[in-house]
Amino acid sequence: MSFKPNFLLLDYAIRSLMRRFGKSFFIFFILSLLIFILSSVLMIADAIKLELNTTLKTLPQITLQRFIAGKQSDVPLERVEALLDIEGISAVTPRVWGYYYFKPAGVNFSIVGIDAYEEQYSETLSKLTQRFDMKLLEKENGMIIGEGVKKILDENYYSEFFNFITSEGKWQRVNIAGVFHSDLALESNDLILLPKKLAYAIFGMDERKATDIIVKVANVKEIPTIVQKINERYPDMRAITQDDIRVSYQNIFDYKSGFFLALFIICAFAFFIIIYDKSSGLSSEEKKEIGILKAIGWSSDDILKEKFYESFTLSLSAFLLGVTGSLFYVYALQAPLLRNLFMGYSALKPSFDLPFSLDVSMLILLFLLSVPIYIAATLIPAWRASTLDADEVMR
Amino acid sequence: MIVLHEVCKQFMQGDEEAHALKKVSLEIKKGECVVLKGASGSGKSTLLSLIAGLMQPSSGKISVDGKEISKLPEYFSAQLRRQKIGFIFQKFHLIPHLSALENVIAPLIPENLPVSALEEKAQAVMEQCGIAHKAKMRVNRLSGGEQQRVAIARALVNNPSIILSDEPTANLDETLSMALIAEFETLKQQGVTQLIATHDPLFFELPFVDRIIEIKNGEIIL
Amino acid sequence: MSLTPEIIALLTLDAIFLFFGMIAFVLASRLAFYWNNDASTSLQYSLTKQSYLISTIIKYIFMLKLPLFAFFIYTCDKLSNIIAGAMCASGVVNSVDFGLYLTLFKLLNLYLFGFWLLLHYADVSSEKLPFTRLKFILFAVFAVPLFAEIGLEIAFFAGLNISKIVSCCGTLFSAASSSYISLLFVVDELLWVGLFYGFFAMIVLAFWLKNSVLTIFANAMFLIFAIIALIVFFSPYVYELPTHRCPFCLLQKDYYYVGYLLYILLFSGTFYGMGGAVLSIFSKEKIRFSRLSLVLNTLYLLMISAYPMVYFIRNGVWL
Repeated sequence: MSFKPNFLLLDYAIRSLMRRFGKSFFIFFILSLLIFILSSVLMIADAIKLELNTTLKTLPQITLQRFIAGKQSDVPLERVEALLDIEGISAVTPRVWGYYYFKPAGVNFSIVGIDAYEEQYSETLSKLTQRFDMKLLEKENGMIIGEGVKKILDENYYSEFFNFITSEGKWQRVNIAGVFHSDLALESNDLILLPKKLAYAIFGMDERKATDIIVKVANVKEIPTIVQKINERYPDMRAITQDDIRVSYQNIFDYKSGFFLALFIICAFAFFIIIYDKSSGLSSEEKKEIGILKAIGWSSDDILKEKFYESFTLSLSAFLLGVTGSLFYVYALQAPLLRNLFMGYSALKPSFDLPFSLDVSMLILLFLLSVPIYIAATLIPAWRASTLDADEVMR
Repeated sequence: MIVLHEVCKQFMQGDEEAHALKKVSLEIKKGECVVLKGASGSGKSTLLSLIAGLMQPSSGKISVDGKEISKLPEYFSAQLRRQKIGFIFQKFHLIPHLSALENVIAPLIPENLPVSALEEKAQAVMEQCGIAHKAKMRVNRLSGGEQQRVAIARALVNNPSIILSDEPTANLDETLSMALIAEFETLKQQGVTQLIATHDPLFFELPFVDRIIEIKNGEIIL
Repeated sequence: MSLTPEIIALLTLDAIFLFFGMIAFVLASRLAFYWNNDASTSLQYSLTKQSYLISTIIKYIFMLKLPLFAFFIYTCDKLSNIIAGAMCASGVVNSVDFGLYLTLFKLLNLYLFGFWLLLHYADVSSEKLPFTRLKFILFAVFAVPLFAEIGLEIAFFAGLNISKIVSCCGTLFSAASSSYISLLFVVDELLWVGLFYGFFAMIVLAFWLKNSVLTIFANAMFLIFAIIALIVFFSPYVYELPTHRCPFCLLQKDYYYVGYLLYILLFSGTFYGMGGAVLSIFSKEKIRFSRLSLVLNTLYLLMISAYPMVYFIRNGVWL
């Protein structure tokens, strides 16, 4: 068994493909297109996952929510002290936040209440509170808003201030004290930061309660144990850890990619049948050629090998073209149109750059989904061609 | 060199069985030049195809160069064809879209030899046949005579010990036929065993032909 | 069932294997029945043509199965990120009852198909086609584990439950494990090591004596005890951790993917050893590949023995 490739045979195969240029090109084009789409979708999914993982690290380690009758409810502030007693917890921060529906634009703003003296639980918020003077905000009833919010407010003629409608139906005027730009585009574009007192007022919340509680632990590996302890202490509280979020996002992505792939496979299957059909039909010229080759000394095995070289060359080149094309499309052009498959349309979702990550395993996956499948489609037609009778053709 | 022993070949034509060859026995010694005389349909082409290993006899034994080929698996008969036999067909049967050089090399491609060695061999034999100057040209653009020479070169490229020709002059005018006959004479002098199936009378009076065997309705007439 | 792209790729190729496998199975059964090398009938003629199809299909399946086995392990490794508790492929594989059997089945099929191909090449290289009928009977038999494997694989991925917590290799491959793997640890580990080297010595003996049956037996035993000894004794030296005894973690980046090299050496060495000997029994010729197999097996032995040696030299103690 020697596996030395026969270059003359390869040359013959390539030449054969070129001779039937129209047919070959049609198949090559569609194959490349399919691989291009598949590869782009997988790359976008991976890039967004990567971006999300980066975002994830800025999220709190443990978020505690209180559930009454299966619905989320506010958490009494006394619990904060009790929680600090638990071993392993280094910081406990109550949060006041929520969504405010702005009817004229039909969008939700995220509102987060900030306390000037509290330690912020996220780096972004820390940076922001350092840059802007929180105490001033409190005194002057001011807020800091994200770029997306600013844009919407400008469109609705609110340029210096904004009138919130509180839960009691009263107006609450808040001045726009500043606009922030954030590096983490996904997170803060639709964000409004204002003093906690204002937040309580706008939402009509009880000032002795908080929306949820953020817990920071000393040792990341102990999170599951600490969650267990919290649950024992307060059975009505549910803990969401960073890991939970990571797993659920990964699942959504896998689900979406899986769904897309399933659709893709149906298309590929249809294509499979087309290829099979096209390869099966041998023109009389092609049959004659095979007859001649056999007469001058080629065995069925040799003809089969030549057909294999043809299929392999075609599918491999289509694979390379498709993958290169999609690398360019996703990372250089930032994948217009297709990225909305995963991100959805949203007025406030800003664009961000898809981070570059190339996985060898993804290339292998794409290869497995293209080349072997094409070869499978041409296997039986190639065999049929190779077993043609030489003398019948020559008569 | 070539020995046939009571070889029969039947084909299915529709529902009927047609006997192309009936108990043919013959022996051709090494270096002999034998002419197989017979009208079309007499079984000449079938006989040549059987000797070349392109098909297996329905019964009987065939051996070529000491090796029995009647039951040889296709892989081995193709190898034999490549290495020992050169075939000149009535209609040349060149691959039209390939160049002359590529056609000449074609039989040896499965041998997986180094490219340069093959091209050298092909060039040499094409020069011998006087067609080297048209090596890169597509064969469907060559004249009849040029195509004939490419076909001969192809049959000779593997240094065969046996040359089989099926009606080689059927599509040629007299000048080209004489040129081809001269080629056959050269081969005879080189000691190549030849079997020429033809009903062209030009072959029946040649001095270098050792024997003429007549075949009619699938049987050898002595 | 979680449908990651990797799983979809594996299942799609499985579907193709199933389809072609069925065709080959039907044809092979027919061929085994009617094959008559001496006949010149048109039936025999078409059977000959079909035999090409069968061998082409088997070559295709085998060529793909080799990298797919590694890809399967890789997929399990990647899934360990989503399945709670699993930290490497072993956790995922063992999260389903028959996961380990599936892996062993896959390995078995690789060996079986490899043997078939060796037999096939021996067959077509000879003018008399001596093994053709045997080949097709064998394929009809080997098709059963192939279909079983495909079925198991589909069931495996369908049965994966990401919310069920699984054990990681630390607990699986230890004396505390609830599966029969724990039986391995009941015995003193040096016994397994002794058997490992012992059967290697038997391989050398078989090579010297040129005895086929002994070669097959020695290689088979060597394979089994090599894996056991790897789990029980040698792997801790690769990880430099006495409690880490996982055969799968060797394949991860942290250990420079050394597992791939080790397993390739071991599997190909024993494959050629057994295959060459089986061939010689059928063809009544001398044993083929014996030198190749000896070299591969020796390389494996040297490589794996190097780990504890190097550790001892560096640290002065055994784990």
